[in-house]
Amino acid sequence: MTEQTDHSRRNFLYVAAGGLGAVAGGAAAIPFLGSMLPAADTLAAATTEFDVSTVVEGQLVVIVWQGKPVFITNRSDEMLTRLDGHDDNLKDVNSEAIEAVQAEWMDTPEKRKTRSINPRYLVVVASCTHLGCIPLYKPSAGRAEWGDSVPSDWVGGWHCPCHGSFYDLSARVINGSPAPHNLHVMPYKFISDSVVLIG
Amino acid sequence: MLESMMKTKLFAWVDRRTGAEAIIKSQLTEYPAPKNLNWMWVFGAIAMTVLVLQIVTGIFLAMYYKPSAMETLGGFSVAFDSVERIMRDVNFGWLLRYTHAVGASMFFLVVYIHMGRGMYYGSYKEPRELIWIMGVVILLIMQGAAFFGYLLPWGQMSFWGATVITNLFGAIPVLGDLIGQLLMGGFSVGDPTLNRFFSLHYLFPLLLVAIVAGHIHALHTVHSNNPDGIDLDQSDPNNVVMFHPYVTMKDAFAVSLFMMLYMYIVFFNPQMGGYFIEVDNYVPANNLQTPAHIAPVWYLTPWYTILRSFEVKLVGIAAMGASLAILFVFPFLDRSKVRSARYRPMYRGMVILFFIDVIVLGYCGHTATTETLKVVGQIATFYYFAFFIGLLFLPKIEKTKPLPEGV
Repeated sequence: MTEQTDHSRRNFLYVAAGGLGAVAGGAAAIPFLGSMLPAADTLAAATTEFDVSTVVEGQLVVIVWQGKPVFITNRSDEMLTRLDGHDDNLKDVNSEAIEAVQAEWMDTPEKRKTRSINPRYLVVVASCTHLGCIPLYKPSAGRAEWGDSVPSDWVGGWHCPCHGSFYDLSARVINGSPAPHNLHVMPYKFISDSVVLIG
Repeated sequence: MLESMMKTKLFAWVDRRTGAEAIIKSQLTEYPAPKNLNWMWVFGAIAMTVLVLQIVTGIFLAMYYKPSAMETLGGFSVAFDSVERIMRDVNFGWLLRYTHAVGASMFFLVVYIHMGRGMYYGSYKEPRELIWIMGVVILLIMQGAAFFGYLLPWGQMSFWGATVITNLFGAIPVLGDLIGQLLMGGFSVGDPTLNRFFSLHYLFPLLLVAIVAGHIHALHTVHSNNPDGIDLDQSDPNNVVMFHPYVTMKDAFAVSLFMMLYMYIVFFNPQMGGYFIEVDNYVPANNLQTPAHIAPVWYLTPWYTILRSFEVKLVGIAAMGASLAILFVFPFLDRSKVRSARYRPMYRGMVILFFIDVIVLGYCGHTATTETLKVVGQIATFYYFAFFIGLLFLPKIEKTKPLPEGV
C-alpha cells in the first residue's frame, strides 16, 4: 500500500488541511479574546459633570471618571506664579512628548504652562505615569510642611508615594522622577461658567 | 508531518525526559484500530471536541457571569442581569453563551449516539465492561453538570427545575431532608443554592476530563470493538490500520462536519424551538409563581417520564434511580458470547426497539401529560426495564448467526 503513495500529493494535502485548520483556529480565537475586551456598557460609561466652584482656593478634589480618579485643583494667583522659574528642571515643559499629555485647546504658551482651559482649574488624570499610583498633593513650596520627603528646592505640586515621582502644580513631571510623562489630561469642556463636563 | 517533527533535536530532548516517542507510538502512530470501523465510531472523538468547547466557552463565560440571586434596581437579579449583559454588552457574549447552551444539547446528542453504538455492536461486553461502566459515570456527571448549569441563568425554568429535582432527593426516606438542605443550603432554592451550583458546575467538567482519560486509557488497553464484534489479531495488518493518520483523519473529517451542524444551530436556531433553551427561562425566577408547563430539557425527559409513570412518589423516584443504575450492570446481564447485533437477530430487534422506546419516553416527558400519553409512557417504561431483564434469558433462546473469520 505504502509503495504506491504519491508523497508530493499527500504533502500538499497535509499543508492545505493544516493551513485551513490554522486559519479556522485563529478565527475561532477572535470571539474568545474579543470577549475579554471591555464590554459595550463599560465603553459607554457615562461622562462626568462637576461644579468646580465648589473647590475652594488651594484645595484639591479627587473625583471619579470612567472608574479612574481625576484631580481638580483650584490654584490661587500665588500658586500660578510658582509655575515659572523651574523650566530647566522639567522633563517636558510644554507637554509635547505624547498625545495623552496635550489637548487641542493648548494653543498658546500660556495654556501649555497652566495646562488648563481656565487657568485656575487644573483637571488631570490622577494616575502617576510611572506605574499608576495616585500622587500625594503637596502644594506649599519648600520643606516646611513636608520634611525631607520633597527636594530642598520644592516648588509645590505632587509627590508619588510609590516610587518617588514629583510633579509641579501643573502636574508636569520634574527631572529625576521615574515617571516618564506629565500627568495625562482627558477631554473636558466648560458647559457653564463653573460646570465642567469630563469625557 | 508528525514523523519529521519527531526527528528534531528538540523532540529528542523532550523524549529523553518524558518518553514522549513511546507514548506517541503506542497511542497514535502504532496504535492499531480495526480496519472495518464504520462512521458510528466517530462519536467518541466528537464528544471529546464538545467537552473541550464546553470547558473553554464556560471559562470565558465565567469571566462575566455572577452567581447571585440578589435583587437589582431593575427588579431582576444579579445572575439574570449578568446573563443578559453577556447577551447584549459583552463582545461576542451571545456567541459564547449560545455555543455553551447549544453545546449542552449537542453533547448529550453525541453521547447518546455513542452509547447507542456501544449497545448495538456489543462494545460493552467482555473485555470492555469497565469502559462501559466508566461511560455511565460520565453520563451521570454530565447530567449533574447540566442540571447545575441550568440553574445559573436564574430564570423561571432554572428555578422551578432546581426546585423539583431537589425535592426529588428530599423524598428519599430518612435522609431526604438532610440531602435537600445539603443541596439547597436552606429550606428552598435560593441565593446559597445558586452559589454552590455554580461552584459544582465548574467542578464537574474537571471530573469529566479525568474520567474521560480513564475511559480512553481502558479503551487503549483492550482496543476498539468493531462492527462485527469479533476478536481481531491486532498485529495482523489485514485486520488493522494505524490510528494515526487513518483514524485521526477520519475523526477530524467527522468533527468538521459536526461543527458545521453545531454552528448552524448556534447561528441560526439557538433556541431550537424551545428544545435547547426553554422560552420560560427568559422570565426571571419568581419563587411565588410556577410556570404553566414545566418540563426538563429534552436530554433528561426519558428519565422524567419514568418518574411520572408511577402513582406512588417514592416508587417513581426509585424507578428513575433504577433506570440509571441498571446501566451499570448492563454488561453483566447480557451473557451472550456474540457481541454485534449483526449476528444476533433477536437482540437486534430488541435493541432497535429499545432506541425507539427511549425516544418515546423522551417525547412523553417533554409534552404536557394526557391520559393517553400517560399510558404510552407507562408501556415505554415497562419495556425499558423489560429489555434489560430479557437479556438474562436471551442467550438461551437466541440462535446467533456464524461469525466471520476476519475483516
